[in-house]
Amino acid sequence: MCAETLTKAMKAAISDVLETMFFMTAQFDETGRTLKEWLSDKQLLFGASMRFSGPSSGLLWLIAPVSTLDDITANFLGIGKEEINDEQRSDTVKEALNMIGGHGFSMLDRKDTFALGIPYLVEGLKAIEDMRGASSVGTILIDIGNNHLAAGAVVD
Amino acid sequence: MAVNVLIVDDSLSMRAIIKKTIKVAGFEVGKFLEAEDGKKAMRVLVDEWVDILLTDINMPNMNGIELIGEMKKDEVLSLIPVVMVTTEGSEKRIKEAMEMGAKGYIMKPFLPEEIKEALSTILGEAEYVRRDLDKGYEGRDF
Repeated sequence: MCAETLTKAMKAAISDVLETMFFMTAQFDETGRTLKEWLSDKQLLFGASMRFSGPSSGLLWLIAPVSTLDDITANFLGIGKEEINDEQRSDTVKEALNMIGGHGFSMLDRKDTFALGIPYLVEGLKAIEDMRGASSVGTILIDIGNNHLAAGAVVD
Repeated sequence: MAVNVLIVDDSLSMRAIIKKTIKVAGFEVGKFLEAEDGKKAMRVLVDEWVDILLTDINMPNMNGIELIGEMKKDEVLSLIPVVMVTTEGSEKRIKEAMEMGAKGYIMKPFLPEEIKEALSTILGEAEYVRRDLDKGYEGRDF
């Protein structure tokens, strides 16, 4: 499986997860912008990554500015942005990736069993750039009501 | 009848969401109990009365399938209904969970109605389960 196939499934999963669990509508940027153009390094960026194995192996990632993560966390937990703490923010981004990954793989092929790893936190664009040294990579640029985030897949 | 619910998930946020969903659905809950993995859930099960357990699969230390396996080894704990609430949706995984004895399987992302429906069905049978548990707990030294 190539990263392109996986990112296609991830896009559908991102739409479903953001709408069902976070009450947000995702729009995808198809203008060919790069990750660096989409997410400025000047902002504090946090995210999560998670390995997968099975018929193919690799990793998935999700990253966003802290302000966007606060919006996502507030919607998820049904609390005000001012109430959010670091643990809730970290936990929410890991869980969001977990749901996107699980849902994406189940849409790809319900017969294959992909094993998902435990999501872990990543910080800054460099962490993502370092992952993308593999041969097959896919990046998804996501817009949720003027907030930007990005996700992607790296297939070994 | 108020029921005690054990929610097992390594995500604090997900435990909060499930808890809120159950509250909003209007179930009469005595105690909400939480554990972040299967091992900790086993400790809660020994210390507390649990009427229904909702668990994730993909967790560190002891996953949800292993947790059901551990519960099955105990005559009393094996009677507690378990609902999987997980991102894992392959047919193989669902079959594995149901064969292990799970009473329900809810895929994340989920709609609140899915939790409500699963719990309504299972708790409808809970009277019988509780009666069996009552018998099982008699004379046990925890």
